[in-house]
Amino acid sequence: MQFLTCATYLIFYVNSVLTYNSDTFTEELLIKPLYSEQIYAHFQFTTKWDVDPNTETFNHSRIFPRALGEIVKRYNVQELHVSLTGGLWRYDSWGYPVTDAAPGAEVWAWFKTDTKDVNKNWKLLANSLSGLLCASLNFVDTSNSVSPEFSFKPTGVTDSPNVNSSYLSSGVSGLASLLNSGYIHNTRYHSVALHLRPVCRDETCQSLSLELQQSVSLVYDYLILGTKNWSLRKLFGQGVTRNCILASRSEIYVDTTTSSTHSFELSPPPDDVVTSIRGGHVSTFGKYNVPNYFLHISAKYEESQKLAVVSPPSLYASQYLTGYGQERGGIVTKLYNNHWDNLNVVVLQNIPWYVPIYLHTLKVTTDGVNNEPITLRYIPGIQRERPYYLEILLKLPPKSATAVSIDFDYVFLKWQEYPPDANHGFYIGSAIISSHLTLARNYTGLPQDGSTITDSFNASRSGYLVQVRTENMVITLPTPDFSMPYNVICLACTVVALAFGPLHNITTRRLVLKPKNNEKLLFRLKRKLTEFLKK
Amino acid sequence: MSVKTSKKEVEMDKLQNSVQRIILMCSLAAALRYWLMLSKYQSVIANHVEVSTPMNSWKRVSEGLYLLSRNIDPYSGDLLHETPLSLFFYKVLLNVFQQQIHWMFITFDLATGILLFATARKYMSQLYKEENANKSTFSKDALQYLLKPTDLIKSPFHVLLAFLFNPFTLFNCVGYSTTVFHNLFLSLLLFSMVLGIPIIGSVSLALSASMSFYPSILIIPISLYHINIFKSVTKAIIDIIIFIVSVSLITIFCSHYAKDFGYLKNVYGCILTVPDLQPNIGLFWYFFTEMFDHFRDLFIYSFQINATLLYLVPLSIKFRKQPFLLTLALLFIITVFKSYPCVGDVGFVLSLLPCFVHLLNYCQQGFLVGVIFLIASSLAPILWYLWIYCNSANANFYFGVTLAFAIAQIFLLTDVLFAQVKREFILEHGKERKVNGEEGILCLE
Repeated sequence: MQFLTCATYLIFYVNSVLTYNSDTFTEELLIKPLYSEQIYAHFQFTTKWDVDPNTETFNHSRIFPRALGEIVKRYNVQELHVSLTGGLWRYDSWGYPVTDAAPGAEVWAWFKTDTKDVNKNWKLLANSLSGLLCASLNFVDTSNSVSPEFSFKPTGVTDSPNVNSSYLSSGVSGLASLLNSGYIHNTRYHSVALHLRPVCRDETCQSLSLELQQSVSLVYDYLILGTKNWSLRKLFGQGVTRNCILASRSEIYVDTTTSSTHSFELSPPPDDVVTSIRGGHVSTFGKYNVPNYFLHISAKYEESQKLAVVSPPSLYASQYLTGYGQERGGIVTKLYNNHWDNLNVVVLQNIPWYVPIYLHTLKVTTDGVNNEPITLRYIPGIQRERPYYLEILLKLPPKSATAVSIDFDYVFLKWQEYPPDANHGFYIGSAIISSHLTLARNYTGLPQDGSTITDSFNASRSGYLVQVRTENMVITLPTPDFSMPYNVICLACTVVALAFGPLHNITTRRLVLKPKNNEKLLFRLKRKLTEFLKK
Repeated sequence: MSVKTSKKEVEMDKLQNSVQRIILMCSLAAALRYWLMLSKYQSVIANHVEVSTPMNSWKRVSEGLYLLSRNIDPYSGDLLHETPLSLFFYKVLLNVFQQQIHWMFITFDLATGILLFATARKYMSQLYKEENANKSTFSKDALQYLLKPTDLIKSPFHVLLAFLFNPFTLFNCVGYSTTVFHNLFLSLLLFSMVLGIPIIGSVSLALSASMSFYPSILIIPISLYHINIFKSVTKAIIDIIIFIVSVSLITIFCSHYAKDFGYLKNVYGCILTVPDLQPNIGLFWYFFTEMFDHFRDLFIYSFQINATLLYLVPLSIKFRKQPFLLTLALLFIITVFKSYPCVGDVGFVLSLLPCFVHLLNYCQQGFLVGVIFLIASSLAPILWYLWIYCNSANANFYFGVTLAFAIAQIFLLTDVLFAQVKREFILEHGKERKVNGEEGILCLE
């Protein structure tokens, strides 16, 4: 027996030693001054583990977070994407982020094909994630999730607004030392995201690896910083203490493309200058290798500045509510195509069940002209069970603005279904607009086959997938009087009784003539009163 | 000979006269409806919760037809609460009327009015004949209270007038509520009931029952009508059998058309369990909004029993000799206590009241009821606006109005029924209220 335990231990030990050597961790920070009055910082922590995701038990891991691995294993997840976001990414003035994220929380997952009950696993996965990430993802279930057909490969997409974001930090040294909560919440936009997917181990793609991307995106406003001359200390409270020992690469990139119009000087000067030509668009980056000692970067802008003509990105969108009162309204999603050619886009709407939409009121107009959708998928919702799922494939003409509008009714909920702050309103999640762009202008996203920011340099592809998320919307549903349940029950029952009494009398009693003696007290008083008044 | 021809001529004249009057009234009503439908008020009226409930709004029908045209099962969502048969019916109708929705609604509304007119005419003459035949059994000094021949002419016109120009039915028609079709089947049912044709009666009963479930209890007054007025038990049995057969045929058609039985949950499930709490003029919405979850089922059962079965047996026993009055009473109870009532239902029942002109003398609460009706119907839209659009009132205000409206209807119903009891008593015992030479009072014992 003793021997067996020992042997098992030995096997596990050997096994774990083997796995230890097969994962790599890189940390990167991209700082990009935006043309508008903001600066964008994107942290990218990538763990690549050369194990087969289908057979790995996640009992032993080195850098890969075991807690996540267990969840993934248990619920048979093939691919998992979680993002928790505060603020709204302004596509029209900021361009595209490295990873798109909807305001609030978004989870989408792809389950393995042998999963028996996807809905059950989905609910359990959301609950486990809410425990892991300290976010209220436990409200995610089939009543607010949809299974898109075009927009995502995976099974579920959801939006839940109650975010209590916290983050799986990969360590306190290295770039993660820049993530101080006080400075993160001082931003116009902050988003933490976690993307887990199986990738090819090498070019031949004979075997699979597991890739985990953890990212933090922050957009600082110069107005909040007080000056345009940014530095790591102003942005994050401190400089980088040293590189992460576990990381195989630890790099900071500063996008200097805007320097041609808004020239600034970096100090210390970057270790290297990288020029990336991607989709006909040239960008330059200053590259810093984070040393094993303290590093502080600052930028100083020159006084005289030229005006730059900034063209907005090829595709962006916004969403708003129409109508007034709490009876009928409409949702309008506006899509802007600034490209010189037609763009095929997929618009995905996951509309909660408390916003019943009428498909026959769906109108798609491009600059006032009717634009018939190429394809349309619609699954009507069911109260308290399933959201309304609408996915439209549209062709956007060049240089056009398209409005997708649909009408809805305000519903009346049971009094216990309202949240404690009923008049705060209910959220309608953002629409997701997916498209393949042919130009990479304003595009910083990672290529499909890449996992680090370095991979995105000179990564020209035939198309660049963008997924534009629109604003969340809040509607205030009409509320009942929450203090009245007893009164309402009593009054309504009184009315029922008002019918019951006379009907009971009429049907069960007979009409008889009775002598009019024994005048009742009330009648006597009444008679006396009338006699008195007559005098 | 000449006297006879002149009599015939007079009758012909009368007939011509009445036909002229009907045509005049109908064209006036049609013009009024047409004008309102083309005006900007149409959408305002159609959007009012008093007119359009989840059960009968045309918007939901259009959604259902649209989904059907896109090959999406309209019953996979929960917006549509019409039966597949109705949906099929509307689809055919829209083709027949070439998408002229307003003419479709106007035609059906006018047809309902004319059917009600014919019903009232037939019923009044039956009642008159019956009373004349039983003259000998009535008390001598009560003969003045019997129906007069002028009532026979006037009342049907009043019914037609009350149906065509009643604001409730007018708004119902202008608001494109499918209660218009429901009312047509109900009036067809009443018409064939007083005529004693079992087939049409039961088929239209089955149709209206399939549309809104509640009218199925009307099978009792129909059978009673055959038994007590036409003295034919076989007809009553045929009636019931045809009703059951046509209900099952409708169900088979519906399940075939919708490809499964999923529609049952959407149509009858919604009527019975009230999941949609959009306000209407009934009692259910606020009651079940504020209901505690663990008592919900109990109260759903009791409210539905209250609307259907509770009064069915006692009223049927008490008024078995007056099945038409029984029909009115049951229709009234359904209208007040059903889960999604609308003004179209109220208007339909109210327009039947002129048939009971002989009870008018015995009604005591006409003024009260009239005033409540007036106040409630004018306050309801105002308080709705204040609650939903101005946020300066809340749900309680609107709820109060709907309570008052329900109370008015209940008062009216009990008043009419009590009037019938009193009239019977007076016809039997005379108008003198003397007990052993002393003043007496009438009371229930």
